[in-house]
Amino acid sequence: MALEQFSDVVQKCEALPNDSYTSDDHNVFTIAGRTCIEEGNSPQVLSIVLDEKNQNIVRSMGWNLLPPLIQVLLEKEDKNLPQCLSIFNHLLEVCKSAQLTCRPKELLIGLLEQVEHDDPDRIAESLHLLLNPLQKVLLCLGSRKASSLGMTLSSVLDQLAKLPVPVTKEQEEDDVFSLCRCCTDLIQFVRPFVQEARLNQSSGNQLEKSHKTASGQDEGAEDELRTELLKFCMKTLSQPLLDVQIRDPDTLPLSPLRTFASEILDILGAVGESLPSLLFHPLLKRKEVPGFLEEEVRYPKNSLASLAHLVFVHHLAADTFPSVFSPLFCLRSNMEHISILLSRPEDSRLQKGLELYEKSMVRVEDGSLPADLLEIKTFLTVPQDLVKVMTVCPKHDLRTKGLKVFQLSIDKFHTEAKYRFFQYMLRTSNHSGVEGYVIKNIKNQIDAALQPGNSNIWFEGAHLLPLLRKVFSLPDGPETDLLQNLDRVMESLNLLRYLVIRDKVTENQTGIWTELYKIEDTFMKPLRVGLNMSRAHYERELQGTMENKKKKTKDKSVLSVSVGGDELPKMTSESQIQALHSALHTFDMIENLTNKTVGRRERGADVRQRSTGPGLEPGTAASRTTASAQGRALNPNTNSAAPDLWIFYINVNNITLSSTDQSSQ
Amino acid sequence: MAAEPTREWSDEQLKSDDLPKKDVIKFLQDNAAHSFLNEHKLLGNIKNVAKTAKKEQLVIAYNQLFESKRFKGTDPVEDVTELVKAVKIEEKPKEVKAEAVDEGPPKYTKAVLKKGDKTNFPKKGDPVSCWYTGTLEDGTVFDTNIPTAAKKKKQAKPLSFKVGMGKVIRGWDEALLTMSKGETARLEIEPEWAYGKKGLPESKIPPNAKLIFEVELVSVD
Repeated sequence: MALEQFSDVVQKCEALPNDSYTSDDHNVFTIAGRTCIEEGNSPQVLSIVLDEKNQNIVRSMGWNLLPPLIQVLLEKEDKNLPQCLSIFNHLLEVCKSAQLTCRPKELLIGLLEQVEHDDPDRIAESLHLLLNPLQKVLLCLGSRKASSLGMTLSSVLDQLAKLPVPVTKEQEEDDVFSLCRCCTDLIQFVRPFVQEARLNQSSGNQLEKSHKTASGQDEGAEDELRTELLKFCMKTLSQPLLDVQIRDPDTLPLSPLRTFASEILDILGAVGESLPSLLFHPLLKRKEVPGFLEEEVRYPKNSLASLAHLVFVHHLAADTFPSVFSPLFCLRSNMEHISILLSRPEDSRLQKGLELYEKSMVRVEDGSLPADLLEIKTFLTVPQDLVKVMTVCPKHDLRTKGLKVFQLSIDKFHTEAKYRFFQYMLRTSNHSGVEGYVIKNIKNQIDAALQPGNSNIWFEGAHLLPLLRKVFSLPDGPETDLLQNLDRVMESLNLLRYLVIRDKVTENQTGIWTELYKIEDTFMKPLRVGLNMSRAHYERELQGTMENKKKKTKDKSVLSVSVGGDELPKMTSESQIQALHSALHTFDMIENLTNKTVGRRERGADVRQRSTGPGLEPGTAASRTTASAQGRALNPNTNSAAPDLWIFYINVNNITLSSTDQSSQ
Repeated sequence: MAAEPTREWSDEQLKSDDLPKKDVIKFLQDNAAHSFLNEHKLLGNIKNVAKTAKKEQLVIAYNQLFESKRFKGTDPVEDVTELVKAVKIEEKPKEVKAEAVDEGPPKYTKAVLKKGDKTNFPKKGDPVSCWYTGTLEDGTVFDTNIPTAAKKKKQAKPLSFKVGMGKVIRGWDEALLTMSKGETARLEIEPEWAYGKKGLPESKIPPNAKLIFEVELVSVD
């Protein structure tokens, strides 16, 4: 029935002169044709469509058959698949250079409806099929195409966003979900529009201002096209480019994703956007761009950050990006982008943020960054973000890289900047490990300043003392949780020990000798009080646990820790106390050493007596004390008198600290 | 030479408790030679000396002064020089600026290829636009914004930035401030004022590379 209708209308229309088809004819053709295809009469439709004498009507109305055809093609199971495919290809062929007079907008919408799916396989397939016809329809829209192009690109990118992203190099090569193929197709799709925009650009420059009013409409259309393409680029920079890892040519010579990224950068150039302008955006004043997109929307921060990464880490635009900008300026600009990248917890973003930070820092000379950079907000917020990565990020690789980049940034600061940075970190990081790391850096800086010829005013004398006061302090006085603050306290004591050994009383270059009595009051005293309190507390705990063991009652601890549903075995009390005793024992050692060094022998005896506890050999403390006075025994690996005196890893299984060569002293 | 000071007190007076130590010390400090005071440990704040010195010592010193006649002005010159040597000068640490104070000669040269208008010179912070070509010493072109293809000529724009603000390599910042609108110059920039030890590998600039730029200052706003 439908087939007859179809056949009839085709015959009737072929007879009409000058393509004067009525809208009625149109409707019949479309509906009958669709029904035929749906009913499985594609072979017959194919023969009608291929028939020489029907070509006029096919050219004019054939495209209305596309939506039902595509539905069939996506099914892939239809026995008429090959015929449908043939009709499809023929229609595309025939309409190549034709002026579509039959409602292209409607056709466009019909096609776009076919784009939307939820299943990744269908998405990829339909994009692959549809991009070509969509392109042709759009090209027929002439100067009115911009908004339709925008709509199309938006739909396509929404669908693309649903496709899973390859993570490894192998996954990119395999492209199981066809994301890479879609990206390649997408570039093909936009090519003619980009070319048009490029041509508009070059002719546009010739227009004098006076002509603008006359061709105002065209200008508007050209602007619109440029804007839509810019929107497209910005969107892709965020999705998928921010989520994928681009491989360098050595790793993966043929990379569709890298090609895609390069093309996007090229398109930006074609629409008149200069990369330096985009990347240095916050720092270089941009002119007010009259148009229908506000700045924030036109240049989304995420996209610009992604762009920065592509340019500065992957060097994708190396040929066109000017090689005249100073490394310091690039660093300052990139801090904005780095801040954006480090602000979200996704691995891919953190990775990119760390890489961009590293690349930007590596380009500046060591010790060259001046202190006034720290007045720029991002130079303080980015290290805080780094601290988060170093301490909280679940991925070990990222934590390690974070620490590496942190140290790199310190190395690049000038002396005064280092000083101010350390002050800032001690004040704000609120993490014992980080504080300990910073204090170790302070020690290194003091050591450097004490080398002949390297004297500076920041890590010696008057300026050093306020910094040292911050170092030699307990956050909560005697009530400070010593275990939680272990790293910090240990490094502080290490530093103190270093200072009293290295800086002679007669020279007092660091000023430590005049401060020592104060440090005793504000640091050492509360520390000892805290130690005694902790020790007493834990000894009680140990008693209690041992008694419980005898009574064979269950451990009534309130807390339990589980990971992924599996409860972690509770640390046995003995282990706990062993660990604590190790810590306390170490403190005793240091205390003794410090006392000895400073010559405060009166307390020495007390502490020595108390340092023998369960599980420790009595008398070891005493012998080690004498040995350590030389500063070598605790770390048998130290060859020089260099003050990195010991390794503090509280090893639960190894209570007796290091040292095999007790004999040395 | 001042006349010899007269002896004010007799021995009994000196030993008496009525005569405070401070008075004797003051007399001695006013009249005795520096080396004398030094030997007898009578230098410094009178109060402090009074604490450490016993009356007997002061009496002895007083008598010895008149015996030896080592009054002020009798010290030989050498003694004085010794003392001067012993004086320590406390120097306050100088504030060191972060940037190098002593800059030395400029690390670039400029040869004018085409004169400018000689009136419009950019100041620090002014936006400028340039066409440029950058080559290495061996002639390799590593960067240019001058389009070669005729088609692209209409699209290309000169590089715009604010001069003298550290946004570009130092050689450029310094050189452009000496150029006037319309001038074309050939700049040879030492690595210290270009990309230094690191170079810019992705742009084919090796470490410690001297860069040669041909720059045309198109506009100064």
